[in-house]
Amino acid sequence: MLQVQDLAFGFPGHTVGREVSFSLAAGEAMCVLGPNGGGKTTLFRTILGLLEPHGGSIALDGVPLASLSRSEVARRIGYVPQGHSAYFAFTVLDFVLMGRTAHLGVFSVPGRKDRELAVRVLESLGIGHLSHRPVTQISGGERQLALVARALAQEPGLLVLDEPTASLDFGNQVRVLEKILALAAGGISILFATHDPDHAFLASQRVLLLAEGRALEVGAPTEVIRPDSLQRLYGVSVEVLSLAGGRHTCLPALR
Amino acid sequence: MSRFFVLTLLTFLGKACFAQSAVVDASGREIRPPAKVERVYAAGPPASLLVFAIAPDKLTGWTRAMRPNEAEFFPERYANLPELGRLTGRGNTANVEVVLNAKTDLIVDVGSTGPTLASLASQVQEQTRIPYGLFDGRIESTPAALRALGRLMGNTAEAEKLAAWYENELAQVKQRVARASVHPSVYYGRSASGLQTGGKGSINVEALEVLGARNAAAEARAGLVTVSFEQVLLWNPEVILTTDPNFWKSAWTDPRWRAVSAVEQKRVYLSPHLPFGWFDFPPGANRLLGLWWAGKLLYPQTFDVDLRARVTEFHRLFYHREPTAAQLDALLGEPGVLPK
Amino acid sequence: MTSRSISYVLAAGALLALTALAFAVGRYPVSLSEIVSLLASKITGSANTLPANVETVVMQVRGPRVLAALVVGAALAAAGTAYQGMFRNPLVSPDILGVSTGAALGAVLAIFFSQGILVIQLFAFTGGLAAVGLVYWIGSRLRGHDPLLALVLTGVVIGTLLGSVIALLKYLADPYNQLPAITYWLLGSLAAIAPRDLGAAAPLALAGLAPMLLLRWRMNLLALPDDEARALGVDTRKLRTLIVAAATLMTAAAVAVSGIIGWVGLLIPHAARLLVGPDFGRLLPLAMLLGAAFLLGVDTLCRTLATIEIPPGVLTALIGTPFFLWLFALARRSW
Repeated sequence: MLQVQDLAFGFPGHTVGREVSFSLAAGEAMCVLGPNGGGKTTLFRTILGLLEPHGGSIALDGVPLASLSRSEVARRIGYVPQGHSAYFAFTVLDFVLMGRTAHLGVFSVPGRKDRELAVRVLESLGIGHLSHRPVTQISGGERQLALVARALAQEPGLLVLDEPTASLDFGNQVRVLEKILALAAGGISILFATHDPDHAFLASQRVLLLAEGRALEVGAPTEVIRPDSLQRLYGVSVEVLSLAGGRHTCLPALR
Repeated sequence: MSRFFVLTLLTFLGKACFAQSAVVDASGREIRPPAKVERVYAAGPPASLLVFAIAPDKLTGWTRAMRPNEAEFFPERYANLPELGRLTGRGNTANVEVVLNAKTDLIVDVGSTGPTLASLASQVQEQTRIPYGLFDGRIESTPAALRALGRLMGNTAEAEKLAAWYENELAQVKQRVARASVHPSVYYGRSASGLQTGGKGSINVEALEVLGARNAAAEARAGLVTVSFEQVLLWNPEVILTTDPNFWKSAWTDPRWRAVSAVEQKRVYLSPHLPFGWFDFPPGANRLLGLWWAGKLLYPQTFDVDLRARVTEFHRLFYHREPTAAQLDALLGEPGVLPK
Repeated sequence: MTSRSISYVLAAGALLALTALAFAVGRYPVSLSEIVSLLASKITGSANTLPANVETVVMQVRGPRVLAALVVGAALAAAGTAYQGMFRNPLVSPDILGVSTGAALGAVLAIFFSQGILVIQLFAFTGGLAAVGLVYWIGSRLRGHDPLLALVLTGVVIGTLLGSVIALLKYLADPYNQLPAITYWLLGSLAAIAPRDLGAAAPLALAGLAPMLLLRWRMNLLALPDDEARALGVDTRKLRTLIVAAATLMTAAAVAVSGIIGWVGLLIPHAARLLVGPDFGRLLPLAMLLGAAFLLGVDTLCRTLATIEIPPGVLTALIGTPFFLWLFALARRSW
């Protein structure tokens, strides 16, 4: 689905990261793990085509990203940003309908089919009852789910989520992680950023460790997440514990 | 005893030598000019006009430099006097230091004499230690203003001559107005749209009021106002006077103005404007010409006057230069000034 | 849904009623039957026996003025709606990029050089377009900043610069003749509207309206952060440029014929948003209806309250502000 080769990325005049390579197959969920300021958001924005790459290549199903128009990219990749401050009181349904824009003609307005799809997406996320509520009047967790719904309305093959569980309570965090697993199982590739290694264990099949713009390691969670790699990443000592049923978790070793 | 008497006498004599007698100006302030007034700064165009008329050599400068088409009406040495800016109430452009630098003996302004301007004048007077006199700019007060100004400047003879002539002219105008049996309604339209006008008592239509004309906009409040077309149509004036050539041109072609009686009767006129406007602005003695001009247009039977002769006389006395025949042709021949 | 439809119906109804009223009242007395028979004779092409002045008043004076109030009101409201959505700020007016100041400078220059009405309007129109063009050109060259912030700051700076040139011109103008003309133009007025003005302003306003209507769905996405809108498939830079051009065209056309009339572009989109929400496709038509009705109501008062004309900008503020506060207090939704 997604092939990233030797990617150098950053802002105009300032390169933040380099030599990042990985590929993502359909239905695979990959977690990008790293500290704040490590370049996760910049990497994602580059993959989405919002920033120009400084080197290397990005391809979607073999097609170079640079050759695709904004609409074409939007039909393939859905973006769930980190947090969203709502300026205007669009209804949740209208908000999700914005995701349909890439499938509409330039002068078109969403039709009945678009509306039905949006409603279905909302219900699959359990927030169908909020469709006529203004986005300014729902909780942070509900808004995060609305953002996911909007991205899903794009009917993408790849979903990019930037720290989707930040500022969510524990229950909502779990729900979002469950949704990620379900979506991956349904055939959508997922790329999500997090700073919590446990999320990687819970919801991803591959992990990329990103620090100071460099990919330290890429691989299965159990291979990549170890006390020494976490020490390199965060500068703190962490124990990785095995649990019954082949699961793992991380426990910081507080001094 | 006799020494004391001589000292007192000398003191009185001394005072009499070094100070002119005080003149009370139109705002009620006492003005004490120096014994000899050689250089007078006129704070606005109406004042420039009067000072220049009385004693052109004493005028230190114009408030705005003369354009070539204005300058040709004045003797060259006066046309090129320096530009000093305005010190009058409406928008000052003069630098007080410049006024001082021109070694001014006396500052005068002609126009409104209310408390605001009086306090402004007093302030400048205190600042500069130069006496500042205000004089009434109304048309009918011009002779009095001329006389008072003449006394202040030490040119009583010249001022008296001008004042007497002006009085006579005004009396003649009034006589002819009195003999007129028909007083048409007049609308004075300003600005490119022609929808700005002056209400009753407004300084902009003072000439009309002296002429006893019926100001179509009399029911509007005093001062400059904007009105709508419907209002003008309702008033349906018989004569339209204007100072804006753009409006004068459009009045003939615009279908809305064509409905007005004045346009139908082809009685729409454009006031001459050189070197000082004849009607409305600047609001000074120059409006005497406007009285003759408008009088001729409004009351053609009683105002059978030789306009050229009147204009020539006024220019000779007030601008110290008679206009040439060609200049008169240009002034009076401009489209809209006189009926064809 | 129903409350929204009610808003449209009420607005349209108010507009029709106001238009009929506006035709019926004025300083020049024209009876309703005269108006009806005149319009009937125009439609059927037959002759009429009405006095010539009545025909002049209705067809040349009042008619164009009423229609112009509708066009200007709708244009300013539409431009304000577009700008508020685009700048994600409900407190933005169409002048944020300097179109009114630019138009004012053009007009003041023309008055300063003693030009006629046609030239004044032309200068005002080009002045408005040029000012926004300049702001946009400079703003888009400021790299490394949030594009909207760059535009707004440039707009403020250029607006202030142009404002100071206007102040200088006012200072240099002849205080007896040009300065009053300048002052009156800056206060705005529909008193001098001619059929020709309407013939020029209406098509220009429509030309600006067309892209806004066609792109009404995508306009909604401009309310999102730039990254999100682009990720959803919208070329935000192109869309913004187009909408700025369209809104500027509408505003410049309106200001050229009416002078500067404030508050309509700021308050009306607000009021409309409180009634039907921010979806541009629903918001724009209502804002235009309300804007047209509002300005028509205000202008009708301006020309009938007294013998002299009252500047519309004064009344739009006096009437608009309490009306808006009332609406805001009533409304259940936020904007």
